[in-house]
Amino acid sequence: MSEVVLAQQLPPKRKKAKVELAQIVGFLILLLVTVAMIMPLLFMLSTSLKSTKEMLVFPPSMIPADFAWGNFKELFVNEEIKFGQQYMNSLIVAIMTVIGTVFSSSFVAFGFARYRARGSQFLFVLVLSTLMLPYPAIMIPQFLLFTKLGLHDSLLPLILPSFFASAYMIFLLKQFFSTLPNELYDAGRIDGCREIRLYWSLTLPLSGPVISTVAIFSFIWSWNDLLAPVLYLDSQENFTLPIGMAAMLSSKFRIAPWNLMMAASLLSVLPIVVLFAIAQRRFVQGIVLTGIK
Amino acid sequence: MSKKMGKVVLSCLALGLVATACSSNGGSKSKEGETVTITHYTIDSPDRTFVEKLIPDFEASHPGIKIKVTKAPYEQFDSKLQSSIAAKNAPDVTSHWGYGGFMEYYNKGMLMDMTPYLNGLTGADYNIPEDVMNIYKVDGKTYGIPLNSYVTVMLYNKDLFDKAKLEYPPTDYEDKSWTFDKMVDYAKKMTVDSKNLAEAQYGVDFGFGERDQRPQYFGANVYSDDTWTNGGKPSEINLSKPEVIEAYKKVYGLIWDQKVSPTPAFSKSVSGQFGDPFLSGKIGMSVVGSWSLAASSDFNFKIGVAAVPQGPNEKVRSVLYVDPLFILKDSKHPKEALEWIKYLITTEVQEKSIELSGGNPPVNQKAAEKYYGNFEGIDPEQIKQVFEGAYKYGFESYNHLISNYSQINELFINELAVVENGDKKVEEVLPSIEEKLKALLERVNK
Repeated sequence: MSEVVLAQQLPPKRKKAKVELAQIVGFLILLLVTVAMIMPLLFMLSTSLKSTKEMLVFPPSMIPADFAWGNFKELFVNEEIKFGQQYMNSLIVAIMTVIGTVFSSSFVAFGFARYRARGSQFLFVLVLSTLMLPYPAIMIPQFLLFTKLGLHDSLLPLILPSFFASAYMIFLLKQFFSTLPNELYDAGRIDGCREIRLYWSLTLPLSGPVISTVAIFSFIWSWNDLLAPVLYLDSQENFTLPIGMAAMLSSKFRIAPWNLMMAASLLSVLPIVVLFAIAQRRFVQGIVLTGIK
Repeated sequence: MSKKMGKVVLSCLALGLVATACSSNGGSKSKEGETVTITHYTIDSPDRTFVEKLIPDFEASHPGIKIKVTKAPYEQFDSKLQSSIAAKNAPDVTSHWGYGGFMEYYNKGMLMDMTPYLNGLTGADYNIPEDVMNIYKVDGKTYGIPLNSYVTVMLYNKDLFDKAKLEYPPTDYEDKSWTFDKMVDYAKKMTVDSKNLAEAQYGVDFGFGERDQRPQYFGANVYSDDTWTNGGKPSEINLSKPEVIEAYKKVYGLIWDQKVSPTPAFSKSVSGQFGDPFLSGKIGMSVVGSWSLAASSDFNFKIGVAAVPQGPNEKVRSVLYVDPLFILKDSKHPKEALEWIKYLITTEVQEKSIELSGGNPPVNQKAAEKYYGNFEGIDPEQIKQVFEGAYKYGFESYNHLISNYSQINELFINELAVVENGDKKVEEVLPSIEEKLKALLERVNK
């Protein structure tokens, strides 16, 4: 009897964790995929640290013979490249676009989500139908408009449209706003909130995930946009990063400076990586909630 | 959202708009009294934007004229130009530096007839051969003044030649022993056709002109002869003619029958999507535009320059790429624009431009002497001989002479890709290209 009791009191024997063959295979596949995914990034880093001569060697080496850290400095000191100025311009445009898009789109989406009026559904479909219009279709009229306003060769034509809402973002935000319970708004009204306060103090604070998603999307789109800046900007002082980087490959008469290009690419993905790292949790929540990535 | 947060957001908004306004030029045009501003539109690459360095000198010698340089990356050059023209904001001076060519610009009515402003200007005034000046004349009217002239050359890798113990090819176009067949023989001796990229190397990369111009080297013409006299609109397409089919067989036979030329897959592997595989040091000879010479000092091997070998066509062995400067039709200051163009083709400025651009070949033949001595490790006399031969046996690039060329060229690139990749034979593909090309020309040349 006592032996039985003792046996019961002993800590349970730790079972050896069995690693199944399927797990090993799965792990190896994941490892391979990870290596395959990370290789282009490593190659980008490697090329960014090569001299022009080494860049042309075939087969290419993964580790540069001499680390050309000067490539990064070259981007900022070379007067023909003006990378620092372009970086600043891109940041201004992207940040302002995020602010414009978030506020204007959320305002419109709030209206569509919270109010019912005759024709509101039709108006919503009308807004969505603008998604079908590709940018080249509105490019020339918009270009004429901004030129007549005297805004050509400035950053404003790249920023101002974002303050007039985006159909895609309106759709995204409206879907989220519609899920907020009516009782909250009723409670707000009982407490004396006016409609604008319901938008500002109730809807926006509760919509963190979707607003992060909209912010990240609009930042990335603005950051990567090439066509609109090319059309509107003439002076190198106003150029954004995509123009500057495209210009590095412009010459068919010279060897493309891939090492500088890769250094510029590395630096240009930094803001997106930082933004994603900051807003990652909310962004993933946003994807789950809106079903869009 | 708290009041504090609201204030922060509004402050950001205000600051951002101020920052934006500060970085803006406001689109203002500098007009001080009688001063006229000429806009020079170019590709944003150092071998074109160097003209900015010439502006102070020009403005000092031409009071009353200011020059503003606007630029765009190569890929977006045409779309920006078209938008500017549509918005009545066109530049004054430019060239066909994008995908479109002279005839495309001319047929779209984009170019100004400079004749009334020339006041007896001739090529001789600027040491430009008259036949080069005539390239951009239509019905006796001048629409462009040549600025730079590139030719097709053969570059060869001296290291690979030495290794294969081959004699270097000649620079003299009159040396008729240097033939296409001899080039293929040489190429065979240098080729290592292997699936292992590290081992593989090829004898020749035959990049004579664009794809539709290549048959010209073999004495065949894709377009009817009236193309060159009627504004670049071919009345007939000859892709089903036996001589054209044979020419294409020879071109692509270098890759798939003789196996002495690199496949597109090999080229992309060693040099990227748009790179030149010759730079990898794994190609013995490369028939290519002379712009490749500009980068010669960066090569990891010794290079030489030679004549393009004699092919079946006794008259044409080189494609000429003469870049002109145009004055656009909407320019309000054609006289001043012409002054800027004339300044750019003077001997002194053309000489200065060689260094500033990193090796652009001047059209001014007096300045060309300086250009020939610009390449380290290559005898200036040899380059001179190759250029002079290329001019003698040259034909202007089709992309400058045929209307709507960007669309035509795209069609050839897309449709011939299956032949280049070895998936189909030339004979299978040419009839469908002819059909599509006829439909395209009918649509665009209405």
